[in-house]
Amino acid sequence: MKAVAKLAGVGLALVLVQLLIAAALPPQIRPDLVLMFALALGLRGGTRRLLLAFALGFLVDVFSGSPPGLFALLCGTACAVTRGVDRALYLRAPVPWAAYVAGYTLVDGLLLGLILRVLLPESALGWWALLSRLPGEVLLTALAAGPFLILFLRLDVDAEPDGRRAGLGLIGTRL
Amino acid sequence: MSDLLSRFRYPLTYLLLFALCVISVASRQGPVDLGVGSRLLLRLTLPLGEMVTLPVRQARGVWRDYVALLGVRGENSGLRRELSRLEEENLRYREAMVGAERFKRLAAFQARREVPMVAGNVIAQDLSRWFQSVIIDQGKDAGIRAGMPVISGAGVVGVIAGTTATASKVLLMIDLQSRVDAYVQRSRARGTVRGRSEEACELDYVLREEDVREGDQLLTSGLGAVYPKGLLVGTVSHIERKPYGLFQTVQVDPAVDFRNLEEVFVILEERELPADADFSGPDEELWGLAAESGDG
Repeated sequence: MKAVAKLAGVGLALVLVQLLIAAALPPQIRPDLVLMFALALGLRGGTRRLLLAFALGFLVDVFSGSPPGLFALLCGTACAVTRGVDRALYLRAPVPWAAYVAGYTLVDGLLLGLILRVLLPESALGWWALLSRLPGEVLLTALAAGPFLILFLRLDVDAEPDGRRAGLGLIGTRL
Repeated sequence: MSDLLSRFRYPLTYLLLFALCVISVASRQGPVDLGVGSRLLLRLTLPLGEMVTLPVRQARGVWRDYVALLGVRGENSGLRRELSRLEEENLRYREAMVGAERFKRLAAFQARREVPMVAGNVIAQDLSRWFQSVIIDQGKDAGIRAGMPVISGAGVVGVIAGTTATASKVLLMIDLQSRVDAYVQRSRARGTVRGRSEEACELDYVLREEDVREGDQLLTSGLGAVYPKGLLVGTVSHIERKPYGLFQTVQVDPAVDFRNLEEVFVILEERELPADADFSGPDEELWGLAAESGDG
């Protein structure tokens, strides 16, 4: 519980940083730190982390003009997908992690477009308009993801009661 | 059973929350007030958000007041206010002239209609880059409710999409979910201004044969039950008439500069959907104006 509370604090801090970024930078050059964190929460399974991902997404919904639940859905899905992908691919090093985050940020944008198209067709954004806005976000989120992973894994190890390492050791125990 | 539940706890939790989110997104119908959870979260986190974004706003203020516009800002601000007042006055006169030509009787104006308004400062921008909203520092305590129109000196800003006691979320006119019923001031052609989540908007449902030209000004028609009639929405910037189809494609530049939006006014008026006849009738109930009764 203490570990999740710690992660919740980090999540809240990232939402505040995202607010700061939104106030300071134009939309074309904003990394999506909350999505990046939701992805990182999926690196180790656990229902509480999934709930935390949904909750952070909901907080983004509160600070956004989006239909309530949209970003909760996207962040929760990001966490769950990472949990699945993490079992098949090695993601716990900065470079593969950054590549994964870049790929998923692209998928996340497309998923947002798809959800709007299906659930709120009158508010949907054209695919081309959507894709044209993604490159900056994909690149900057991936750039932030590498260094963040190092901090996150360290925090995650500290947060574990027995101090188990969240990297290769954990994969070994799974295998 | 409990073994099964504990084994599938993760996917079951995900599916349950997924379903809740889908229902929440799909059931969104127009501007409704924030739920209890959202209100509580906003109330708890907004002070932190304000604190975090304060340095950026102050840095912008320092740049604006002391570096970029040293000594000029005060004078410029006064001139802008004057210009804005004159533009608004000009707009009202032009609107009245169009009405006079159409109905051959509008000649003089009565006193300006008093409309209760609350001024608010923008304290946070939209967290996502796909939607366009801002949070202002006035809420329910100031009489603000969901669905109330928000304007600035330049024109239409958006609509209140949720409130707490001390803050409100404003869905901007340029958001994907925004629709404003508007008409071309010169030709009275009507359409719906649709946000595209970028600087420009589109005027939908304007028939191909309707008279719309670049530079035409668009005003709110008052038919959407949100905005009063006669508020400036924007200017037609581009028109595309394809050789097929019922409608023409009209691009609109909003009157408000949303990138530098700092102060807004919330009109504290609950509006109801007017009858269609109110639009086609004489312009006696224009925003801020009332035509003199009688033949004039």
